[in-house]
Amino acid sequence: MNNFFNNLIIYNGYPLSVVLALVMHTAVFVAVLYFQSRNEVEALELVQPTIIKALFIDENPQVRNQRLQDQRRIDLQREREREQQRQAEAERQAEAERQERERQQAAERQRREEEQRQAALREREELERLRELEREAQLRREQENRENELRQQREREEAERAERLRREEANRRQQQAAAEAAAAEAARNEFELVQSATGLIQQLVQDNWSRPPSARNGMRAILQIRMLPTGELVDVTITQSSGDPAFDRSAETAVFRAAPFSELQSLPINVFNANFRLLSLIFEPQDLLN
Amino acid sequence: MNSDISTLELILDASPSEQMVFLVLLILSVISWVIIIQRRMVLSAARKGVYSFEQRFWSGMDLSQLYKEGTQMQQENLQLVGIENIFRAGFKEFMRLRQQASVDKEAIMEGAQRAMRVAYSREEEKLERHLPILATIGSVSPYIGLFGTVIGIMNAFLGLASQSQATLQVVAPGIAAALIATALGLFTAIPAVVAYNRYSATMDNVTSSYVTFSDEFSSILHRQIHSS
Repeated sequence: MNNFFNNLIIYNGYPLSVVLALVMHTAVFVAVLYFQSRNEVEALELVQPTIIKALFIDENPQVRNQRLQDQRRIDLQREREREQQRQAEAERQAEAERQERERQQAAERQRREEEQRQAALREREELERLRELEREAQLRREQENRENELRQQREREEAERAERLRREEANRRQQQAAAEAAAAEAARNEFELVQSATGLIQQLVQDNWSRPPSARNGMRAILQIRMLPTGELVDVTITQSSGDPAFDRSAETAVFRAAPFSELQSLPINVFNANFRLLSLIFEPQDLLN
Repeated sequence: MNSDISTLELILDASPSEQMVFLVLLILSVISWVIIIQRRMVLSAARKGVYSFEQRFWSGMDLSQLYKEGTQMQQENLQLVGIENIFRAGFKEFMRLRQQASVDKEAIMEGAQRAMRVAYSREEEKLERHLPILATIGSVSPYIGLFGTVIGIMNAFLGLASQSQATLQVVAPGIAAALIATALGLFTAIPAVVAYNRYSATMDNVTSSYVTFSDEFSSILHRQIHSS
């Protein structure tokens, strides 16, 4: 076996590789053909496009001659028909004239009859008109009566409506007054609430304020405090300093010591939001003012 | 215009110029595969030879014994692989020069190294033979395939021009046949490129081990010549 292999590669392996390469190519070629032919069994049914055939037909001179002759014959026939029609027309006219004459005579006779009938008719019409006039007068009177009645009714309704309006107006005014009174009451209530709460805060802060020795008359510090609806203090900022740091600090300390203002919990939330979310406190050595 | 046209019919019905392209590509493919298979045998033999010979060389065997074994193998008509040829060339030159008393040590070393260098370049040449052909086939055959496709499509459109009714069925077989050329080109090119890259890497590997071996061997010879 080893010897056989050695013999195969004896010329640097060229014979073996040529054989192998040829075998491989044949195998690949056969495989490709086989698989391609297998594929074609289930190839797609191609939809054949419909081919539109456009034909240009050359005209045969014989046929054209034939057609020309036919055309001429048809023309002739039509001409003849027209001639016949003209003759028939003339006969019809003569006939018509005769009928016309007869009709005129008949009309003359009729007119005379008509005149007699009209005279009778006129008399009847005169009578009719008189009766008509009478009826119209009657109608007019009735109409007037009805209108009068209507007018009275309308006036009555008008009066009623005015009355109702007046009553409603009065009612509304009363209600408005009540509402205003209620609003005023509420406002007064709110004012009182705010007043009392502010007084409380002032009192608390004042109690906790220990004035520094450097405090002098005429000093003035404004502090802005932010609070939560629970009455807790969020922060304090000095919006206007008194010029004396010790004084400012004492004011700040007073606010911190007084907090939380738990009495604010009892306030309605809208009142709190309007007045106490941000509150300015003015500190002056004499007194504490809001 | 039936739909069951086989690939074989397409190829046989193609125009002569296309058939020429098919033939050229087929021949190139066969050539590239011959080279791929042959190179594979040569390179793997060389790599295995490097491994087995180095095992024998470093086993402490007497060098003249190793040389004699090689001579015996040659007489048995067995192929000697590259690295052994380098060893034999160097050793033969070394022994021959050493027997001449007039030659000094440096000249002996130089002679042995020269002999090994010559053997090395001969072996390298053996290893890299045909690889450029592989590279050429790999880079050119897609273009040949493209050329065939262009010609085929051109013919298909020329055929279309002579028809009054332009349907897909008129051009489709021509274009399909034209596409076969591109497919063949790719079929030829891909193995060639892959094999070329792989074989040049293997060749670098083997030649660098040759260089290392010849350096080591000359250092052994150097030691031997200066110890005596």
